[in-house]
Amino acid sequence: MEVVDARAALAPAISLVCAALVFASADNTFWRRFFSIAAALAKLVIVMSMLPGSLRGVVYTFKLVEFTEGVGLAFRADALGMFFSVVSSTLWLITTIYAIGYMEREPNRRRFFGFFALCVSTTVGVAFAENLLTMFLFYESLTICTYPLVIHDETPEAMKAGRKYLIYTLTGGALVLLGSIVTYQLAGTMTLSQPGILPLEAGRTTLTVLFVALIAGFGVKAAIMPLHGWLPSAMVAPTPVSALLHAVAVVKVGAFGILRIIYNIFGVALLRELGICTWLAGLAAFTILAASVVAIFQDNLKRRLAFSTISQLSYIVLGAALLTPLAATAAIVHIANQAFAKITMFFVAGSIQRATGKTTVHELAGIGFRMPYTMAAFTIAALSFIGVPLFAGFVTKWYLSLGALEDGAWWYALVMLASALLNAAYWLPVVYTAFFKTAPTAEVEVHEAHWTMLGPTLVCAVFVIILGATVSVPGMPFALASAAVKFVFGM
Amino acid sequence: MTPWPPLLALLIVVPLTGAVITPVVGRTRAVRSANWSLGVMLATSVIALVLVVQVARAGPFSYVVGGWLAPYGIELRFDEFGAVIAVICLLGTLAMVFSRRYAARAMAEQRIPYYYALLLLNLTGMIGFAVTGDLFNLFVFMEILSLSGYALVAVSGEKIAEMAAFKYLIMGAISSLVILLAIGILYALTGSLNMADVTERLGGAPAAPLAVAFGALTLGFMVKAAAFPLHIWLPDAHAIAPSPVSAILSGLVVKVGIIGMLRVYQIAYGSGAVDMRTLNHVLMWLGALSIVMGAFFAVFQDDIKMMLAYSTISNIGYIILGLGLASSYGMIGASVHVFNHAIIKATLFLGAGALIFQTGKRTLTDLAGVGHAMPWTVAAISVGAISIVGIPPTAGFVCKWYIALGAVQAGHPFFAFALVFGALFIFIYYIRMVNAFYFRQPRDPAILEVTEAPASMLVPVLILASLCLIMGVMGSVPLSFIEPAVHRLLLPLGGG
Repeated sequence: MEVVDARAALAPAISLVCAALVFASADNTFWRRFFSIAAALAKLVIVMSMLPGSLRGVVYTFKLVEFTEGVGLAFRADALGMFFSVVSSTLWLITTIYAIGYMEREPNRRRFFGFFALCVSTTVGVAFAENLLTMFLFYESLTICTYPLVIHDETPEAMKAGRKYLIYTLTGGALVLLGSIVTYQLAGTMTLSQPGILPLEAGRTTLTVLFVALIAGFGVKAAIMPLHGWLPSAMVAPTPVSALLHAVAVVKVGAFGILRIIYNIFGVALLRELGICTWLAGLAAFTILAASVVAIFQDNLKRRLAFSTISQLSYIVLGAALLTPLAATAAIVHIANQAFAKITMFFVAGSIQRATGKTTVHELAGIGFRMPYTMAAFTIAALSFIGVPLFAGFVTKWYLSLGALEDGAWWYALVMLASALLNAAYWLPVVYTAFFKTAPTAEVEVHEAHWTMLGPTLVCAVFVIILGATVSVPGMPFALASAAVKFVFGM
Repeated sequence: MTPWPPLLALLIVVPLTGAVITPVVGRTRAVRSANWSLGVMLATSVIALVLVVQVARAGPFSYVVGGWLAPYGIELRFDEFGAVIAVICLLGTLAMVFSRRYAARAMAEQRIPYYYALLLLNLTGMIGFAVTGDLFNLFVFMEILSLSGYALVAVSGEKIAEMAAFKYLIMGAISSLVILLAIGILYALTGSLNMADVTERLGGAPAAPLAVAFGALTLGFMVKAAAFPLHIWLPDAHAIAPSPVSAILSGLVVKVGIIGMLRVYQIAYGSGAVDMRTLNHVLMWLGALSIVMGAFFAVFQDDIKMMLAYSTISNIGYIILGLGLASSYGMIGASVHVFNHAIIKATLFLGAGALIFQTGKRTLTDLAGVGHAMPWTVAAISVGAISIVGIPPTAGFVCKWYIALGAVQAGHPFFAFALVFGALFIFIYYIRMVNAFYFRQPRDPAILEVTEAPASMLVPVLILASLCLIMGVMGSVPLSFIEPAVHRLLLPLGGG
């Protein structure tokens, strides 16, 4: 059932208003914090108010402007989009609180929080985009809005990383634009409301080229190897930015775009016919393993997190590329699972850096005694990545393996297993160093980060457990993912 | 048959008389000439607005000057393409406002009235060019705007101003001659100078002179439009001219070549006597080359106005590519970009003018950090930059989208590729600019003490910057406005 409802447009718009207010609040710290948190709350309320309806199968649509027939800015909150926006607006609130604590003494806070709000606006815009054009619009805007965040420190290193980031993502954006144009020409529409719009009559070669262009375009942000180069260098950004970029906004937008391309532009039936998804699945599997191997050798905690992100994102791509319902479920829920676990880890890395100034793994000896709650949260996230049952990551691995077996592609189940081992190989040493190695100077005094940083960290860790433990509880995000899968596969 | 008052005639008569009187008005006090010319432009704008509304409601119409019917009389013809007068009047008015403080500092006081007179003449030339229905008048108006343009470039008094103006003059004069030759051939073939007549009588004309005529027209107009490699006159002239003049030259005057091409197409397609396919192919390549080469040269510029000048070449490339595609989407995109690019480029040039006026510096290196000192101006420039790169939801995107769609529609996906990746290239140097303004350490800390531009400069820039956004969000309005004209134009080709 489709309902015209302004909330679909209001959700992205509210952060836009917030950004304007933050910019207008000049250097007044109180108002800046007030607007940031109020807008984050308001957005969460708006999105959550649509959740009950969405779980019943209601789709909220809203047309903003129309350029010509069928080409315009339109929003549509379907199950998949709702899933993504629930995740991102929840995390926005949490990250905003964390950022307020983290950025306490940084310069240029107005710019930071202004663009921070813009990023979330564009992310929800991508989630609720009704057509490829709207999606492209927000996809490009996101690139622009994150740039000032990446180069926040304005050091030569940051500027270099920013340039790299722009070159990668804008090239990707150009490919998406080209793909959108060709899609419109072939299908006569760009809507994302159907389970596939392209006709097979368009020709196999054309469709294959189009698929490669679109997947590469979104794959840049989803950091599929070899398009991942920007991600580790973008780590120079302040930690809340890394958290937002790597867990919610940028990379997830890329992964979400791939889901939309596979499910709503091409459609499962057409892709099965074309048979190009096996290549994508192979690439994703390669990325999962290769990035994990690289991660083992990273001593800098944030860099290790970056390569872990690259690896985890390809779970989503792999899940989508397998074209089976169970794998698709895994792909969608992994948007949330990876987001909460990864953001926990980033928060921990940031807290450690702020509290002790340490950034590398080997310096972390004994940190578990000094910051017990922080490191407990880290451990939960680590267990989730390894895929221990009851933690969020297990759900993904389970469904992804089932989905692979459903298709007879048992080797992907092996990939899952290998990835679990690799994840253990680079996360457990961190936990071990933190809790079981004593520091050279044997400091045992408990000294946690400020509550504005510790609180969000713990909340995210709790979410990791909730997501892992409540799969069969009705009304949880998992139900949304199932609804989206049913629509896509016409079940 | 002609409605009273004869607005179409007044549209030219008002600014023309206004221009002639300006030096007299400003004889004792220069500021009077500023007020006077602003008043003239406002009056002209009102007329233009009424006419545009009329054409949107009822389609094209014409006015026969003095009641002499074609082929002897002079016919003014107003169609949707002619609606470019709206943006001419808008930019003209804003440039007048912007010039008040600018001219007072940039030139000797006794010269100011002549500056305004030249500016008005230039705008008159463009308005006339856009609405005439007669080939010879087309040429006359083109000369009016070109000659005043040469003088306006020289007005700035910068070191190489005369040199730049001279280069501009040489190229301009040659292209005018080539166009005159073509008009002569068309007259010889048809015995008429009225465009509608020429279109009707061209059928059955011998192929060789036709080819020469249309080739010459295209060549001439491409020089005027500064398509690569015929652009060599443009960068110096546009960079050296006073900033309000740069805005007019880059935003509007180069478009004369485009509007001229549209008229050529109307004759060629309307008569069905000319096969434009080869020419269109040339245009497509010229367009793609201009996009890439303009961007390429711009990357190496440190002078902000020089960079903007090269970016004009890229954008003209978009338009030429759109025309050459001869598909409805491409044509619509190109026509709308004539409007949108004018607004965007004026935002950038006037913004840059305000920066130069306040800081006295004009290179990116020297201007580093100016974003903290002049936040509004630099914000407006940033909007212009995003717009010209074609990032949604700004004015530039709509056109880029349509032209690229047109390339795919016409079966030339390669050109869509060139367009989109050319735009990416363009982005690189605009990022450099925004980086310098906001994120680089100032070379000279004194720049942080600079104050925001005066209201007479800031307000025009902000108006234009908001238009960049409005034209993006409401992109459908100009698109649907121009659509009937494009369909009429492409109808002989089977609807395009």
